[in-house]
Amino acid sequence: MALTVQSSPAEHDYRHLVQDDRIHGSLYTDPAVFTDEMQRIFTDGWVFVGHQSEVPEIGDWVSRRLGTEPVLMVRNRDGAISVVANRCAHRGTTLCPQNDGNNRNFRCAYHGWTYDLDGTLLGVPGPKGFHKDTADLGLDRPGQVDEYRGFVFANRSGTAGPLGDHLGAGGTDLIDRTSDMSPSGNVRLSAGWIGQRIDSNWKMWPESDHDGYHLNFTHASMARAVPDTYYDEIVMTGEEASESATRAYDGGHLELDFRRSYTRELAWLGTTREKVADYCEALEGSFGPEKAKTIMWDGPPHALVFPNLFLAEMNIARIEPVAPGVTVHHHTPLLVEGTDESVNRRLVLQSEAAMGPASFFLTDDAVIAERMHRAFEGSSVGDDGWVDLSRGIEREHIEDGQRWSDITDETTNRGFWHHYREVMAGVAGDQQNGI
Amino acid sequence: MASVDEPTRRDIEAFVYLEARLADESRYDEWEALVTDDMHYWVPFGPGDYEPGTRVSYINDNRARLGTRIRQLATGVHHAQDPPSSMRRVVSNIEILSAEGDEFEVGSNFVLYEHAVQATGHLRLWAGRATHCLRRTADGLRMAAKKVELVNSTSPLPNLPFII
Repeated sequence: MALTVQSSPAEHDYRHLVQDDRIHGSLYTDPAVFTDEMQRIFTDGWVFVGHQSEVPEIGDWVSRRLGTEPVLMVRNRDGAISVVANRCAHRGTTLCPQNDGNNRNFRCAYHGWTYDLDGTLLGVPGPKGFHKDTADLGLDRPGQVDEYRGFVFANRSGTAGPLGDHLGAGGTDLIDRTSDMSPSGNVRLSAGWIGQRIDSNWKMWPESDHDGYHLNFTHASMARAVPDTYYDEIVMTGEEASESATRAYDGGHLELDFRRSYTRELAWLGTTREKVADYCEALEGSFGPEKAKTIMWDGPPHALVFPNLFLAEMNIARIEPVAPGVTVHHHTPLLVEGTDESVNRRLVLQSEAAMGPASFFLTDDAVIAERMHRAFEGSSVGDDGWVDLSRGIEREHIEDGQRWSDITDETTNRGFWHHYREVMAGVAGDQQNGI
Repeated sequence: MASVDEPTRRDIEAFVYLEARLADESRYDEWEALVTDDMHYWVPFGPGDYEPGTRVSYINDNRARLGTRIRQLATGVHHAQDPPSSMRRVVSNIEILSAEGDEFEVGSNFVLYEHAVQATGHLRLWAGRATHCLRRTADGLRMAAKKVELVNSTSPLPNLPFII
């Protein structure tokens, strides 16, 4: 059964609140805006759920949220992936309170209603007292579920059109480049997820994760503690000295593109070919020497697939809105297949340094976001409390359906917000490169 | 449970309390002086019953990475601890789990109250079990490993940029 909900007419003038070069701070703090977002972005649009490699065996499931809607991503009996509401169709009890598991079926603890892995109602205790057709009482399911290279997406309303249209050329290329980091062509997300709870609005995370302007300031402590990270050469060299770029693709997808800044192969892995020879040979074996060389030089993308999938180089992150002022930033290391496990050990260690509540980077981003959120809670009334996003607006370029500019420019922020405006103002589809 | 003589037990308990107080007070130079060159500092996800590195942990620091962590805290521009959290922890249920040669494995429980003054001003509560590996050296007891299993580690956690 599709969760079809009609959009309510706009009470907020999103075309006023999101202007070309500034946005209003109430978009972070207003509970009514959050409610609108759960409908228009997280119900009416495509949302990243998880990766097929997380549920390899029949009956494997992981607990997720589509916006605030609790769901399970399940490996079905026929090997396909199901996404079902984690909520009994009878009285609404959470079926699986844990993060993950393996079940033969889902049985509600309250009255024993039992569901197959795809959400079909198998049986109810005391069926004689029950006159409805059980076929109509399965678990709620999104109207559309689809995958691209193992990345599973769901659209609750079923009205968003094909996943391919949502991803577009930009999103497709970003997922291709991520997946091709693995010699098998399939990444493996099996090292577990860690969640970082931040007392800020969720939209500060697509912004912060794709802001090339903040690194010298927000992450100054990391630069001083470890003066030779690869971030030095790709983003910390100062305005216009870096060859890196910000990119905004159609559909609200974003990238901090470091490719042109790397001065040696495997810089993004902080190592040399000798240390990961097996991995490099496996890439060459799978993709041929030319493409393997490109992969080893370019590394993985640092990119957002709108609205909640952060392709965080050799991590995958999910941005989960909880409430207007609460977000969970989940991450897992992106593991590779078709090579020995030593490179995956390295990737887990790299992930532990970069991501999560005890990491060297996201701890500082979290405090900055929390300070922003506090600052808007009290002041975003009337004509105060605007956020300026004009940096670089006069020097960005449009090329092949994408807008790009210098790494320190707010092209990514504008790309996110301009797509957000189209979605929230209720215009079907993006205007042609209307970013 | 290992049996040790009373002076040894007092030394071990005094060490665990000192380590806790230096961490509470963000006295990281003095805290770092307590660790051995092969120190391992580990905050696992869930029970610490897996080999570190085989799945992702909150913290999995060898001595070098622990040094980076402390250097970052000392820069004065680590916003996540600028200003440092005001903290006090209560350590209890200290048990000497094993004693082999110069090494002692010590278990304890803790409750830590943190005033997260950097942005929210929230009072945060941390609770869990610490397992120390302490080693007797010429300079007295030193810490070769500390594992901290938080009771809520399988749920999302707020910032943990200090030494727990």
